[in-house]
Amino acid sequence: MSEYDYDELGLVAGLEIHQQLDTATKLFCQCPTELREPEEATRTFTRYLHPTRSELGEIDDAALEESRVEREFEYLAYDTTCLVEEDDEPPHELDEEALETALEIAQLMAMHPVDQANVMRKIVVDGSNTSGFQRSTLIATEGEIETSDGAVGIEDLLLEEESAQRVEETADGVRYSLDRLGIPLVEIGTKPDISSPEQALEAAERIGMLLRSTGKVKRGLGTIRQDVNVSIEEGARVEIKGVQSLDDIDDIVRNEVGRQAELVAIRDELEEREASVGEVQDVTEVFEGTDSGVIAGALNSGGSVTAVPLYGFDGIVGREIAPDRRLGTELSDHAKRHGAGGIFHTDELPAYGVTEAEVDALRDAVGAGPEDAVAIVAADADVAEAAIEAAAERAGTALEGVPEETRGANDDGTTRYLRPLPGAARMYPETDVPPVEPDPSEVPEPELLTEKVERYQDEYDLGAGLAEQVAYGQHMPLFEDVVADGIDPTLAASTLESTLTELRRDDVPVENLTREHLEDVFEMAETGDLPNEGVPDLLTELAEEPDRTAEEAAESAGLGGADDEEVREAVVEVVERNEAQVEEEGMQAFSGLMGECMGAMRGKADGDLVSQLLREEIQKRA
Amino acid sequence: MNPGDRVRVDRADRTYEGVLLPSSTDDHLVVKLEGGYNVGVDRAGADVEVLAEDVYEIEDMDAAGPDDEGEDDAADSEIEFDDDLPTISLLSTGGTIASTVDYRTGAVTAQFDAEDVLRAVPDLAGRANYRGRVVANILSENMEPPLWQDLAEAVSEEIEAGADGVVVMHGTDTMQYSASALAFMLETPVPIVFTGSQRSADRPSSDNVMNAVCAVEAAKSDCAEVLVCMHATESDDVCALHRGTRVRKNHTSRRDAFETVGAEPLGRVDYDAEEVSFRGDYQERGATELERREGLESDVELLKFTPGMDPAFLDVVEGSEGLVIEGTGLGHVHTDLIPRIEELIEDGTTVVMTSQCLEGRVCDRVYDTGRDLLEAGVVEAGDTLPGTAKVKLMWALENSEDVTEAMSTSLAGEIQERSVPWE
Repeated sequence: MSEYDYDELGLVAGLEIHQQLDTATKLFCQCPTELREPEEATRTFTRYLHPTRSELGEIDDAALEESRVEREFEYLAYDTTCLVEEDDEPPHELDEEALETALEIAQLMAMHPVDQANVMRKIVVDGSNTSGFQRSTLIATEGEIETSDGAVGIEDLLLEEESAQRVEETADGVRYSLDRLGIPLVEIGTKPDISSPEQALEAAERIGMLLRSTGKVKRGLGTIRQDVNVSIEEGARVEIKGVQSLDDIDDIVRNEVGRQAELVAIRDELEEREASVGEVQDVTEVFEGTDSGVIAGALNSGGSVTAVPLYGFDGIVGREIAPDRRLGTELSDHAKRHGAGGIFHTDELPAYGVTEAEVDALRDAVGAGPEDAVAIVAADADVAEAAIEAAAERAGTALEGVPEETRGANDDGTTRYLRPLPGAARMYPETDVPPVEPDPSEVPEPELLTEKVERYQDEYDLGAGLAEQVAYGQHMPLFEDVVADGIDPTLAASTLESTLTELRRDDVPVENLTREHLEDVFEMAETGDLPNEGVPDLLTELAEEPDRTAEEAAESAGLGGADDEEVREAVVEVVERNEAQVEEEGMQAFSGLMGECMGAMRGKADGDLVSQLLREEIQKRA
Repeated sequence: MNPGDRVRVDRADRTYEGVLLPSSTDDHLVVKLEGGYNVGVDRAGADVEVLAEDVYEIEDMDAAGPDDEGEDDAADSEIEFDDDLPTISLLSTGGTIASTVDYRTGAVTAQFDAEDVLRAVPDLAGRANYRGRVVANILSENMEPPLWQDLAEAVSEEIEAGADGVVVMHGTDTMQYSASALAFMLETPVPIVFTGSQRSADRPSSDNVMNAVCAVEAAKSDCAEVLVCMHATESDDVCALHRGTRVRKNHTSRRDAFETVGAEPLGRVDYDAEEVSFRGDYQERGATELERREGLESDVELLKFTPGMDPAFLDVVEGSEGLVIEGTGLGHVHTDLIPRIEELIEDGTTVVMTSQCLEGRVCDRVYDTGRDLLEAGVVEAGDTLPGTAKVKLMWALENSEDVTEAMSTSLAGEIQERSVPWE
């Protein structure tokens, strides 16, 4: 990939970070914020959505485009969801714990809370919200964070409800799961102060660190999502949704800059060629009896082939604008939005079973010469017409440069067209929830993760690596709680970071371990009821049968509880069994016998104690 | 500075720029920011600069927005008459199905007329020719008996003018009372179908679209009765058709709040298949001539008896023409109240007994208390619902020669002869 001079191109980028909060209840009802499996659903129901006007009388473009296809949405409900998620009961008041956490985050980014927060409805009619809107509240504005390349301004902080999880496409629409709907979410939007892909990544990392410093955010796959807004000077603002991994952010920015730069170059070339987009027409006749599977398939089921001549576009439709994506791919994305499988264009034909003769006939039929290109769609008649119109419209936009739009992140760091940019017209006041007046004076200032790393090293003598693992790890709040209760920090840290990781590698189902399990195990280790050596075995026992308490598991597995006398007996037995060796080697035999003793105790005894008793017994005999 | 102006508000070290909106509290200015978010700014110490006046028309802001056309010709100009389609009259009384935001209270209020409903529910197009009419523009909790009479008159006029069916858009809170009133007041040759929405029309998920579509289909059907058409389940799949005198709103917020008490619903409308079907007998289209008797006695009360009730409540209704009691169980009140009830009856008040059980019929011959009530002259209303009984008594006092006989006889399906709730 070629590197671009971002300064010269005038790169401007901003981030939107969406982070789920780990509150006890959802944002607008008293249901737990617990995720479920679709199989656990207890009820289902179906709905349709219809776009409505905002209180200023406007309909949002994005909502309108989404609603052009009438779709039936099916929802899965659980014993952990209620009528609020089903949009069959008005929302309760804004969750206080979520508001407090949002204010804490605002404070960490030096933001200013609003005097009065008004809950808004953001119209979304893709079915991901049963109501047809997402409730979103502006909590604070105007803050900033530091990066090594200078400060990045924070535009706003919104407290929102998470949408329902898409389960799968159905014959008539989409199936959604209600477990996730209503989990509190903060959305943090930066100002467009970011001027390089590296700075974008660093800003995202910094925001992620600040969020986790509160200890009140959810962890794990899908609990944080990044959107990136990118434009270059001659390009346009493009919102890229759903960047799954933080590490992809710089690649996404790089590729989007490349795409916009290529589209600008294409515009200049088309202008020079005096290119234009012709009239859409039906060219079904050209493909009667074709060998192309795709086209024949459409025609056999009564469909048609539509085409648009792109005058002056020869060679340009097939031009690469991002890794493995061409201008033709953009046209295709728009055609797909209207139900077509995609488009074919003359820059890639003959291929896919379309012959050279058919290409020639196609060019003749639409009056395209050698310097022109032709795009076609084969599908059901109405789909073929709507799809080629959409592709033609996108081709027309290429004459103007880069279109403003919302795009989705692909796994390979490229993006695809999703929908037009949403506007202010999708915002409507949520009349069911009264405004709230945030009180920032009550908000505690959390210790930053970077500060925690230092403190863990200074106060607890943890190594730098372990300190960082704990501070940034998902067990940080548990670690702090148990250490405050008097548990040895080294034991807690190594158990939470190393032991659990090792057990997971050994296929122990550690995800079954509850906070209570871990707290009890630490407690047993601290009071001496369980030797430190027995911790992995006991955690394994608990993970495999999580219904038991730590004490029950220890007892049934015979872990812990060995007193000095029992240990001495076991040591004496080992020493006597190896009497000849002890007499011969004396203390040299220690390390070999130590292993044997520990094996005999099977984690029931503390290593220091065994070592001490074994030394004594060897000395007696040597 | 007025709502609709583009403003810049400075307060403390913050600046907000956007469109000024009416605020529901005196202490705050509400500004709609560029991104669409509304934010409240403390009025105290706020410095406001008007950047441009009247960017938006806030006062006239109804569903159609700034490009709203004149109301009178909207229906005529947009919709062509089709001889092959039946004519359905849409009457609006306000309520959730036709509501939008009220900036005074911040809550939802009624602001549409019938033409707006057509615009709001494009799915209605092509199913019928429509006549639109606004009878009232109120929230249904503000409904009053004189409006039932206006509504009955409007429905009659529509039927006389050739409507093949009438759909009444009504708030859900008191829909069952209005439906009962029309059921007693009108002999109808065409369907009269009440509908509304439980979830406001300003949300994409509103049940108004499906309810309105199904109501129009029911109004085209063969069942010439007063019906209530609302969601049968939480899904957008089927609407139930309830007899107006047997229906009750049994949930505060669910789409399927309306239920027929003591029986299965009379019919259903399958939304996808657009099919109307009935499970029981009904009065067929054209079986009767249009007849209207809308007289009502307004001096009638409904009293719910509960343990510990102050007997003085009965003093309040002294001299009233009618009293419906919502008694316990089979139709009882505290025995100490019986002498006072007897006095009321001797004084000329018609006292009717219903049950707060809602399911089942009253029977005052089983226990002594009941027998004493009958002795005192209380009239049993069978399995008539308490609310329906009140409306019926208001009507019967003006229109029936023998009120006692009328209250224990089914006039509009309000009393079921056989107790077969599973049918």
